[in-house]
Amino acid sequence: MPKIDLTMDVNGRKVVKQSEPHKRLLDFLREDLNLTGTKEGCGAGECGTCSVFVDGKLVKSCLMPAAKADGAKIETIEGLARPGSLTPVQQAFHKTGASQCGYCIPGMVMAATSALRENPDAGIEEIKERLGGNICRCTGYTKIFEAVEIARDVIAGRLPETALDEDATGESFIGANVRRLDAPSKVSGRLKYAADMKMVDMLQMQVLRAPMPHARIVSIDTSEAEAMEGVACVITSADVPGTDGFGVFVHDQPVMARGKVRHFGEAVAAVAAEDLITARRALAKIKVEYEELPGVYAPEDALVDGAPVIHDYAQDNVIKHIPIRKGDIAKGFAEADLILEDEFRTQQVEHAYLEPEAGIAYVDHDDVVTVLSPSQNITHHRHMLAEILALPINKVRFIMSPVGGGFGGKEDMIYQGMLALAAMKTHRPVQLNFTREESLVASAKRHPSRVRYKMGLKWSGEITAIEFDMLSDGGAYGMSSEGVMRKAAILSCGPYEVHNLKVDTKVVYTNNTPSGAFRTFGGMQAQFATESMMDMAAEALDMDPFELRRINMMRIGSRTHTQQELTTASLDRVLDAAEEASRWEAGAPKVRGPRRNDLGGPDTRKPCTLGARIGEPTDTQTKDERVAS
Amino acid sequence: MNRKMRGRGMASSWYGIARTATIDRAGAWAELDDGGTAKIVTGVTEIGEGILTVLAQVAAEELGVRPEDVTIGDNDTSRSPEAAHAGATRQTYMIGNSVALASRDARAKLFAEIADHWDVPVDSLRAFNGELWAQDTNLRMSMDEAVKTCKGRGVVPVGSASFTAHGTGLDPVDGSGSPWQAYVFGTQIAEVEVDTWTGEVQVLGIWAAHDVGRAINPRGVEGQIEGGVVQGLGQALMEDYQTEKGYTTTHGFAKYILPTSLDIPQINCVIVEDPDPLSPLQAKGIGEPALVPTAPAIMNAIYDAIGVRIKSLPATPEKILDALRNHVPGREQIAQSARQDRAEAHRRGL
Amino acid sequence: MLICESYHVPKTLEEALRLWAEAPDGSRLVSGATDILPWAREGRAGDVEIPALIDVTKIPELKGYSCDKGRIRLGAATVYQDFLTDRTLMTNLPCMPYCAIWFADDQIREQATVVGNLVNASPVADGTPPVVALNGEIELTRLEDGAVRRRSVPVADFIEGPGRTLIQPGEIATAVTVDSAYGYGGSFQKVGQRRSLVISVACCAALVRADSTGTVFEDVRLALGGVGPRPIRLRDAERRLKGERITQELIQRVAESAADSVGSRSRKEYRRDVVVNFVRAGLEEALANQPEIGAKFKNFGETENA
Ligand SMILES: Cc1cc2nc3c(=O)[nH]c(=O)nc-3n(C[C@H](O)[C@H](O)[C@H](O)COP(=O)(O)OP(=O)(O)OC[C@H]3O[C@@H](n4cnc5c(N)ncnc54)[C@H](O)[C@@H]3O)c2cc1C
Ligand code: FES
Ligand code: FES
Repeated sequence: MPKIDLTMDVNGRKVVKQSEPHKRLLDFLREDLNLTGTKEGCGAGECGTCSVFVDGKLVKSCLMPAAKADGAKIETIEGLARPGSLTPVQQAFHKTGASQCGYCIPGMVMAATSALRENPDAGIEEIKERLGGNICRCTGYTKIFEAVEIARDVIAGRLPETALDEDATGESFIGANVRRLDAPSKVSGRLKYAADMKMVDMLQMQVLRAPMPHARIVSIDTSEAEAMEGVACVITSADVPGTDGFGVFVHDQPVMARGKVRHFGEAVAAVAAEDLITARRALAKIKVEYEELPGVYAPEDALVDGAPVIHDYAQDNVIKHIPIRKGDIAKGFAEADLILEDEFRTQQVEHAYLEPEAGIAYVDHDDVVTVLSPSQNITHHRHMLAEILALPINKVRFIMSPVGGGFGGKEDMIYQGMLALAAMKTHRPVQLNFTREESLVASAKRHPSRVRYKMGLKWSGEITAIEFDMLSDGGAYGMSSEGVMRKAAILSCGPYEVHNLKVDTKVVYTNNTPSGAFRTFGGMQAQFATESMMDMAAEALDMDPFELRRINMMRIGSRTHTQQELTTASLDRVLDAAEEASRWEAGAPKVRGPRRNDLGGPDTRKPCTLGARIGEPTDTQTKDERVAS
Repeated sequence: MNRKMRGRGMASSWYGIARTATIDRAGAWAELDDGGTAKIVTGVTEIGEGILTVLAQVAAEELGVRPEDVTIGDNDTSRSPEAAHAGATRQTYMIGNSVALASRDARAKLFAEIADHWDVPVDSLRAFNGELWAQDTNLRMSMDEAVKTCKGRGVVPVGSASFTAHGTGLDPVDGSGSPWQAYVFGTQIAEVEVDTWTGEVQVLGIWAAHDVGRAINPRGVEGQIEGGVVQGLGQALMEDYQTEKGYTTTHGFAKYILPTSLDIPQINCVIVEDPDPLSPLQAKGIGEPALVPTAPAIMNAIYDAIGVRIKSLPATPEKILDALRNHVPGREQIAQSARQDRAEAHRRGL
Repeated sequence: MLICESYHVPKTLEEALRLWAEAPDGSRLVSGATDILPWAREGRAGDVEIPALIDVTKIPELKGYSCDKGRIRLGAATVYQDFLTDRTLMTNLPCMPYCAIWFADDQIREQATVVGNLVNASPVADGTPPVVALNGEIELTRLEDGAVRRRSVPVADFIEGPGRTLIQPGEIATAVTVDSAYGYGGSFQKVGQRRSLVISVACCAALVRADSTGTVFEDVRLALGGVGPRPIRLRDAERRLKGERITQELIQRVAESAADSVGSRSRKEYRRDVVVNFVRAGLEEALANQPEIGAKFKNFGETENA
């Protein structure tokens, strides 16, 4: 491929390099200059992890061809402060705890820096607008806003520099706002995530993914790809030496599709090559013959007689059913003055950690197969990989690289097996960095759910019985489904003591993208239904929703839905605290919005109207320049 | 109806700490190191939640050093003791307590030597912030000296520990069992503004009260609550991964819509501390529970504002306008009397 | 992934036209690259290998803007951020700042060109309705027997449908010419799923000039986006408002009639509701934004209601 000459001023140093014409500024910075503080969260302009200054303007470097920046002055996160020091913006991020996983943080610091350079007096609404291109999945933005406002005021001299210092510690470190130890490395872009690391002689891996959701693999021909110059190996499930299967509760998922594919985007084969483009071109040369199979795309359909079977071991497509029984619901409903019945649905949700999956595998000098990746569960991954590779467990080593957000989504071993196989086959380090699109199709999601709910209450507000029936879509593989159903069932009817209940949670296989572990593990889906029901019940009973909860809440000595006796319980205090903090005006939830007096307090934000910087049109009269007609 | 309608809703929640319906365990090693610093090694740490800092605080407190003196490794199955996984709101509870116990073990080794060296009872020794002293005496030294003294006597002050949480499995028939030894509770209130011309919902305020047992780092707890609330908001209003007959239609972040800096409310955190009686640190956890009540609180607030109840997430602008278009004022009330009839029928055994 | 054999950055228009005329099949022009790079990704075009990319943003003639006879000629390198930083553009094109603030984000607006948006011709583009409301014409330039030839096409005609325009092989869009609407009030309505980086479900650009007492509509321009294959100018609604007394009732009546302009089959009911409300809100906000008389309309209608 022909090269082009690029000359830039990068962080105050002149850089002259040859590079490829297709490279984006992001690639040039990361690959050619090793400036990995600039991250690739999406590659499509949608996240801001790649923000850099080009000739003083903040841009997204994934949207800029490197050649466009030829001759420009570039400033990256590494160039904001001298090594070993931090700018006021970075110090403020450190102080307020504005970085969590840190993956968005270099870009966020750049956006904050840009906001204050563009308008050193920007108000909070304008600051929010100027950060609008940078997604953070961890922090909820709040501490970031706080940091930018502190930095703004310190820079403007409205606050002393000591405002950037750590809060003082009293007589104990427990309960103290000790600043995050990992923040300096995150706000300065120094922390290396798996995709930022390079090893000598390292290969790049790319994965061929299933183009359809359910099909039998008739044949895979990798010969043409293998013959390509620069291709080190092609792997398929045929390369697995041990027992092929991973999963949290059932090991139903092969490292790569074995015999059939069960969801769109499932890994079918992988290539390790000298560089990324060669690996991608090689994928196009792998010939896979598929025979499409009828699929199941809704959990209800999975349970129908004669539904296509997705895994042979589960002829009924059921991954797990968890029942909970307590008391006698027939009696409970008979005692009720009021019975509510409804149905609730939640959607499939993506973790959307800003760091896409990435990893490196190598075989070390002691023949230990080592996988370095942002895995949330290195202990279990080691167990599973040892079985898959048929190696003694101490010959498999997992290292957890810094995790750029997980939320449960990095608990599944969806790519580490492929990396290990390629490293063993080539005896070279192999790296795989997912694209965002790949991460979306290949990683597990939050279970979509449908809950049928029936609740009986007395006029006094006491819940007499609950019948709770959840059906969830587990997608193509079991992953954490069983545990999610268990937790959903245990928590189902909420923090209320219910003497008569019947709870069933069930999860089934379909040919949809798999569902797995996701922050709350089923608790959110279940309690969305319960808390909606509680509000509806409060309306029907003409009762304040806090009161209804107090009547039914679990107390010390209460028996939970699984009949565990509680020795502590704090809902009473939590309800009081929330009610007081929010200045809640008591009343039944009967569309009181228009009449409430507790709205719009100082603890709310103003609705976002956009255009904080445009100002009042009448302000600017004198500066207008009219175009002559 | 005015164009912009406001309302409030609330929701409560509960959650269990650490692995569900099973025994949970985590191991850690601790060493008081030269210069009065400390080394902690445990099998799994940071995924962004701030556990490294919490562990440093715990180790510092237990060992008598400062958090910045603590070095934490190693997240490596070949170099560190098993601590299982990073999830299940178990980091502070499981690994925090295991580090606390390992630190105590190391400290006991050091204290034994120093007590002997000073000839004072072991239980008169205290250490904090890099200093070690014997109560009611003038005996005092830096941790640097203390480690030197200890090593000079031939002892490396190392410790190790395993912490266990005793959950039990569920009965396969009636589900009975004790899945966790620690529970937390939460309540959130949402204030929303619904634009009835576009269906857009803006959440203007969230008040989030959560029991965390004991807040080891209050800012860190707030960070978890704020992050959880915004994930809950995303699920409530915009996020939706869709497939059509198994084919993904949500290819990238252009289609998978996440909350931005302009979409989030003011979040007011209230930390409630109901100490856990079963663990040395008395802390419980907050990672996952923070997002549980957010979506229902927002849906309840939307109902309060405009009288339509969204029972299927997310409440997109289109869904809100659809619901408004099909909304019959008073229908909820009619439905309510029907429900009473149903209860009546139940009672009569029909 | 977009893979190209060569990347050209011509320094003159002639050079660009020559390169473009001679470029091998499959080559592409690039301005901000904010459409073309995301296009070459999985789920859309996937990996694309092309011979050449020709970047036209470094050509001096395509930079900046000029004003003549009540029209403003925006060079092809004009980006959306310019409408938030350049006072002359803000006051003469009063709907543009409101469009720009809703457009992508600050960083993308530094790259994204007006021309790129028009040539890309997405049915959900935000840049098209305000340009159509400003009677925009796109200037297309080509080499013919070695000479530079230009033609102008009204933007309303230029965009034929999703991704389809009247641009011919060898042509480069060199400018967009729009009316100066100095003294008008402008507004831009948009709704999607969030407030930043948001794709429109529907959008509406409005320009209004009321008389000096704020009683009568002297001129009204309305255009919609996102409701059909191409942007729609609401000529009929404009006619019914022009010269009439400004009243809530009139605005409401005219707004209702806009519902039928929705051509999209998907989310039709929703779009019909929104369009009616957007025409109303657009007019009310534009009135409130009109210099001199805006104050009179600050709380006109319910737009501002809390
Ligand atoms: C994250 C993100 C958010 C976005 N948000 C919005 C939004 O809110 N609203 C919206 O409308 N759009 C949005 N866009 C789309 C895009 O930014 C705009 O359409 C932009 O105006 C395109 O301009 P460009 O200069 O970047 O075009 P380019 O990508 O450079 O080019 C677009 C097309 O025009 C052709 N072209 C470019 N210049 C010329 C020329 N001079 N002559 C002839 N053909 C030419 C190219 O070959 C290509 O086909 C967004 C994009 C991203 C990535
Ligand atoms: S915006 Fe560039 S990587 Fe996401
Ligand atoms: S800290 Fe922002 S994405 Fe993790």
